[in-house]
Amino acid sequence: MRIGFPRALYYFDHFPFWAGFFHRLGIEVVTSPATHRQIMEQGLKKASDETCLPLKLLAGHIQALKDVDWIFLPRIVSVEADTYTCPKFLGIPESLLPAVPPGMPVLTVTLNWRKGKRQVLKDLEGLGVQLGKSSSDVRKALNEGLEWQKRYQDSMGAGWDFEESIREIGRAAKDLTESAKVPTLVTWKERMFAKMSSTALKRTAEFPIVDQNRDRLRIALVGHSYLTHESYANLNLLRKLREKAKVELVQNVNQEEVKTNLFGLRKKLFWSHSKQIFGAGNKFVADQSVDGIIYLTCFGCGTDSMVQELVSRKAREQHKPYMVVTLDEHSGEAGLVTRLEAFLDMVERRRVHEGYVSTYGECLDRNSNAL
Amino acid sequence: MKVTFPHMGNAWIVIQTLFESLNVDVVVPPFNSKRTLNLGTKLSPESACLPLKLNLGNYLEAANAGADTIVITGGIGPCRFGYYGEVERQILRDAGYNYDVVTLEPPDGSMAGLAKRIRFLAGRKNSWVKILKAMRFAYLKSVALDRVEDLIHAARPRLPHPLHTEKLYESAKQRLAQTMTEKGVQDTVRWVQETIRERQEGLNSMAEGINKPLRIGIVGEIYTILDPFSSVGIEEELGRLGVEVDRSIYLSGWVGSHIFRGIAPGYRSIRSYPRHAKPFLPHFVGGHGLETVGAAVKFAREGYDGIIQVFPLSCMPEIVAASVLPKVQETYKIPIMTLIVDEHTGHAGIQTRLEAYVDLLERPRLLRESIQTREGVLGVGG
Repeated sequence: MRIGFPRALYYFDHFPFWAGFFHRLGIEVVTSPATHRQIMEQGLKKASDETCLPLKLLAGHIQALKDVDWIFLPRIVSVEADTYTCPKFLGIPESLLPAVPPGMPVLTVTLNWRKGKRQVLKDLEGLGVQLGKSSSDVRKALNEGLEWQKRYQDSMGAGWDFEESIREIGRAAKDLTESAKVPTLVTWKERMFAKMSSTALKRTAEFPIVDQNRDRLRIALVGHSYLTHESYANLNLLRKLREKAKVELVQNVNQEEVKTNLFGLRKKLFWSHSKQIFGAGNKFVADQSVDGIIYLTCFGCGTDSMVQELVSRKAREQHKPYMVVTLDEHSGEAGLVTRLEAFLDMVERRRVHEGYVSTYGECLDRNSNAL
Repeated sequence: MKVTFPHMGNAWIVIQTLFESLNVDVVVPPFNSKRTLNLGTKLSPESACLPLKLNLGNYLEAANAGADTIVITGGIGPCRFGYYGEVERQILRDAGYNYDVVTLEPPDGSMAGLAKRIRFLAGRKNSWVKILKAMRFAYLKSVALDRVEDLIHAARPRLPHPLHTEKLYESAKQRLAQTMTEKGVQDTVRWVQETIRERQEGLNSMAEGINKPLRIGIVGEIYTILDPFSSVGIEEELGRLGVEVDRSIYLSGWVGSHIFRGIAPGYRSIRSYPRHAKPFLPHFVGGHGLETVGAAVKFAREGYDGIIQVFPLSCMPEIVAASVLPKVQETYKIPIMTLIVDEHTGHAGIQTRLEAYVDLLERPRLLRESIQTREGVLGVGG
């Protein structure tokens, strides 16, 4: 049995969990190819006009899944206690049914971690019944999925690359099926690190910059995982940035650090992604070694409309260079490159010339640095 | 302490009553206007939704009248309205307005925290019994208000002079705002009923306006459907076009489910909507997305002629609802129109679309009649 998993939206956060889950159940998971022009166009045709770019891409990826028995569209209501995901996640799969090719069955399950692990298990057992699996199988699969997810999250160190680690997971899965034994955590991690260091070496060979870490700018890229890692939709922003600067990502900040940085709010944020974005954003603002912050958002993103405002306020208070890039399906590459270059020039200039700015007068200083 | 609050349609009457019966100084901000929106838009994040922009405008205008404390309700998502209080507080602080923002919600689920906030607003002099009585009275008023509004909805297409109907509505609202007794509230509702009856009796039964009017159900995001300024007076406009309007959510229904947690159902209970929505959307999506779908199904089953969905640009729950509604449209063969409003919405644009939509709904009826007459003529000629 083959299950189609679209490479969009929750893929970037939760794919390891589902990969582990289905792997344990002995079901093959097929992902759609990386986004290309046709996928985007198909998505634009089928998705509702008002919705945001990531959902339009998801609609495209659904149509790009070929030769599968089911299309898997989970309703991820919440991934941790006291938070929700975006309301648009809650409307999946119903809001995307128009994009599903006629005759293709959709497999769905509601995942709500707010209600605790027992409820999640119960819902997954419901899914298991559909797939003809016993509840003990499902329980084992759930634990396997959680373990994969944990490994994935633990590996989010510096120099971590999303696509690379996903490929690694895929390879690990293949090895598993071949050797039919569970690899220990150590070997899996070791392989991972070996792979990582080799890619890091390759990168230095490609861009031979002497004393990379000291001279290069450090730029924090803040935004949802499904925008920062979606290299087609964000016009390769991440790679472009990496060529010119050292990039910090929100997704690489660990949960403890996020938690300690959630200050300055009288009310807890109730979206899990936004919590991560705000906490990590706060950390980057306070971090003196980060030279500038780029907030990547997409047109019509509801949670960002609030959180971007909060992060920008923090950045302004600390006089941190800050830029908002808003993506939509019409984003032009030249425009992005121009803005990126201007921003990086500005940051670099500030770094070099900051000492020459006259500090005379309070107002002068305030206004000259206000962004 | 002078308390103010954001406008949402007729909600000001209820909130004013609540605070006045507790002897708390309250500033009703000037009604939503172009000026309010302009002031609010300048301070708001550009991609925030329309209600936030109007709210901020309200606070700015209320500050000129001396208000220093804001009361707003909250929620824990996933609709972004739940986070308005905090964002508005930061925006106002940075803009130099020294406001206290009190969000009426249990902070982190603690009822004691909510009680503390209510106590802060009500002051020390009011006993809890008095506070509860004041809440009950305000609730009764909101139910009465909704009843009046519904009467006006029915009266608009049936009475001959639109202006007179609007005047009746305005004076009923005035009376309701001023009365502080239960009897006064009931009398006002009765007065509106009787006035409409008198006017209808004065009509020649064969005169125009007696035809069975078209019925359109309005569904969508609560702020935009309750607040006539943000929806560019869509209900009044439709009434003038000879359409009887009904709405998915009324103020007291929202108050009943959102603030009293379903203890009081309100004028039009929203409890049945999830059940109606189930075949199309089995899970809540925050805000009133589920209610929108449920109400649309309910209207369709009750034989309404059309449904209009209204929501502010980029509203997340309503976008989900909007992508499900085509299926409702297909299943029940009922035309559904979606209107998205933001600070650039113009009156003429909405008017044109409404006229076209009403024409579309009337067409099948006219066609049916004309076919019948032709048959009749042919029958005579043959």
